[in-house]
Amino acid sequence: MPLSSYESLFFWIFAIAAIFAGLLTVMARNAVHSALFLISSLVSVAALFVLSGAEFIAGVQILVYVGGVMVLFLFVIMLVNVGAEESGREEIFNNQRQVTFSLIFCFLLVLGILYAVNKGSAVLLKDSLLNAEQLTEQQSEENQRLKSSATGTSRITKQTERVANSLYRYASLPFEIASILLLVAIVGSVMLARTLRQEASADDVDPDLLKDEATRDPELLKLEAASQE
Amino acid sequence: MINCIFSTLIFFFQEAGTESNGSVMVQSVKHPDLSKFLVVGALLFIIGVAGVLTRRNIIVIFMSIELILNAANLNFIAMSRYLQSTGNANALAGQIFAVFVIVVAAAEAAIGLGIVIALYRNKETIWVDEIDLLKW
Repeated sequence: MPLSSYESLFFWIFAIAAIFAGLLTVMARNAVHSALFLISSLVSVAALFVLSGAEFIAGVQILVYVGGVMVLFLFVIMLVNVGAEESGREEIFNNQRQVTFSLIFCFLLVLGILYAVNKGSAVLLKDSLLNAEQLTEQQSEENQRLKSSATGTSRITKQTERVANSLYRYASLPFEIASILLLVAIVGSVMLARTLRQEASADDVDPDLLKDEATRDPELLKLEAASQE
Repeated sequence: MINCIFSTLIFFFQEAGTESNGSVMVQSVKHPDLSKFLVVGALLFIIGVAGVLTRRNIIVIFMSIELILNAANLNFIAMSRYLQSTGNANALAGQIFAVFVIVVAAAEAAIGLGIVIALYRNKETIWVDEIDLLKW
């Protein structure tokens, strides 16, 4: 199912944008710039998802990654100090030898993957060409039956509905497990990010450690005592 | 191994040679198929791997991991599209798996950034080569 001519134009634009933004993510000196380039890379990949008919995943990608995860990244970048990196006092890459070897490794990896993709997709495409005509006829027939959109230029697909159906039919147990995973992640990140004072006021510190730390911060013992009442 | 690399190079040159004379290349540029999506996914993956291996800033390393997971997602979606074009009944499994990859990526980012904050509070650094508490 190759893309049509306009779609292929957009494919090339977004593919090149995604790759360049990814490269700039890795090479930017400032971590905030890295985050912004990563956002543009993610949006370009979302556009590629739309081109391959996965509108729901594209929406999820923008909502979750760009709206959630990247905001979290920006918060953390601003919490930790990046001044030294910006002013050029710190080296942003590892030392020369590690960089050289990892780039050689990446080059070999890219050769291997491209070879495998070339070889594998030739076989796959031969298979798909066999019944392509029949399927495109079938699909255009189905297209006729779909409702057209308000602008009248395209038709509203039932793709998202189908995704939801098979998500709840075949993957309902993994879906529940994913919800538990997210709960664990929320609780875990709250636990990890607590300060010593917050831990003391929840009566959650080792008594020996508390005695040690109390010489530096006498407030801790008061918080500990308050929590036990 | 050298033999393998050599055969890969020969393969690429052969491809280039056959494409330069005919309309095959023009055709594949005008109508990108499955393999183009896979190549974009592979390149994003490699960029992510290079970022993880070469950068010193732990937050940028996390971003590179996001890039890697995103490349995997792109491959899932491309394969799902290909299976739809062959009329496979389970074609949407790729899209469902992509949802789970996004869920895991979100959980990983939350936990990882929590670790980064705890680390910064105790060690005052975000450079991975200075985080050597387990080294002796």
